[in-house]
Amino acid sequence: MARALKYFFAEAAASLWRGRRAAVLAVLTIAGGLFVLGLFLALNTNLQRLVGRWSESAELSIYFKDDVTQDQLRTVDELVAQSGLAEHRDFVSKDQAAARFRQDFPDLAGSAARLETNPFPASVEVRLKPEVRTAGAAVDSLAATLAGLAGVADVRYDRRWLTRLNALVRFLRAIGIVIIGLLAVASALTVANVVRLAASAREDEIEIMELVGAPLEYVRGPFVVEGILQGGAGAVLAIVLLWGLFAAARFRYGQLAAETIGLGIITFLPLGLCLVIVAGGMLLGCVGGLIVARGVR
Amino acid sequence: MIEATNVSKAYTRGVYALRDLSLRIDKGDFVFLTGPSGAGKSTLLRLLLRRDVPSEGQLVVGGRNLANLSPRQVQSYRRSLGFVFQDFKLLPAKTVLENVSFVPRVLGMAASQQQRRTFQVLKWVGLQHRMTAYPLELSGGEQQRIAIARALVNDPTIILADEPTGNLDPDLSLEIMNLFREINARGTTVVVATHDRELIRRVGRRAVTLDHGNIVEVT
Repeated sequence: MARALKYFFAEAAASLWRGRRAAVLAVLTIAGGLFVLGLFLALNTNLQRLVGRWSESAELSIYFKDDVTQDQLRTVDELVAQSGLAEHRDFVSKDQAAARFRQDFPDLAGSAARLETNPFPASVEVRLKPEVRTAGAAVDSLAATLAGLAGVADVRYDRRWLTRLNALVRFLRAIGIVIIGLLAVASALTVANVVRLAASAREDEIEIMELVGAPLEYVRGPFVVEGILQGGAGAVLAIVLLWGLFAAARFRYGQLAAETIGLGIITFLPLGLCLVIVAGGMLLGCVGGLIVARGVR
Repeated sequence: MIEATNVSKAYTRGVYALRDLSLRIDKGDFVFLTGPSGAGKSTLLRLLLRRDVPSEGQLVVGGRNLANLSPRQVQSYRRSLGFVFQDFKLLPAKTVLENVSFVPRVLGMAASQQQRRTFQVLKWVGLQHRMTAYPLELSGGEQQRIAIARALVNDPTIILADEPTGNLDPDLSLEIMNLFREINARGTTVVVATHDRELIRRVGRRAVTLDHGNIVEVT
């Protein structure tokens, strides 16, 4: 077994060296395909983190009319408490809302202060239980009931746009899978063509191997290993390029991302996913090599 | 050892390369297949090499019906053969040593065994001093001797040779035939296809003459 593997690798390496230009092309094609795959995975990882973080802070906000009565407030509070959906709820008075605005937007604080009346409504901010954050229907129903109560001016439910964002992420992922599938086929076919070139350069050798009764593994093995080496090299190159891109993006836009969307740091792919990409590259190369090897006998 | 029973080989549009051929070659025999071009000599060798299968009849070698072999069994069967061709089929980018050791290498032999067998056969064909030369640096006779060394390196039970002297002058041809005689003297079955009747006469072994796919004479 070790002797056979040594032979496969020696022949594959010699063949790659002989056809190095075509091999470089195949490696670049695989790297391109896997780079796109890695990019999608990295974007997906970061988007998921963002959606997760936003989901954690998703709230149901109930805004009251200025003339809301204590009884109406109590009714709202009881309804929220009885729904069993709330983890925590806070009453924010009109004065507290105005103070929060001044703190969050100090540049606009002066303009707000010049108004004769306090324009900010009192509200109840409801933090939903983690287990109901994905159960949109129950929260939607509660929000609709609350909106119809006397004294309630408006009900805002963050979940709605988060659901839309999630749907968008899923849609992007589906498109990504289709693109990745096409790139995977293109990569495997490129490897197959490069290995086929190598096979035709070794036609005489293969003929002699067949005539002397070399085991089929010895005839086919080098082609499969050649594909695997090309696929692995392409995958490693793709990860190096991705890492470079992410390091540059983090350096250039990391601060901006933290300030605008609250994503503290753009993270690179976890090691496990990197290994999956390398394994995927080797698998693609292996498929390409097998396509040729199966035709050799 | 080799038993052909009513073997026919038809190609497209009903053209027969061999027709109803029956032949028996025993272990240790030395047999010439002769006849004009298109007689069916090379076709019979192709069948014996299992590069093709008979259209009709049965070809049994060493108890194996060649038509019924799986791809793996074909490879296993071919390990019991040695082949020599008119055009030598040496690999020009490999040295003499590499050309010969290529066979044990791809058969998965240990490196020490590869080396030992390669040296043995190169010495036997008298070309141990040209180990580092490339095929194109050798004469035709030397190239054919390298091809014979390669055929022998796996210690086959049958040697099949298709016009092995076709590219050689008469003296070199006889020299090559003497090598085959020596191989045969060690118990290896030898089947040589040639149209050179003078050579057959000088070597003096059994000759099966084919014409239009039929056996027309056995001497």
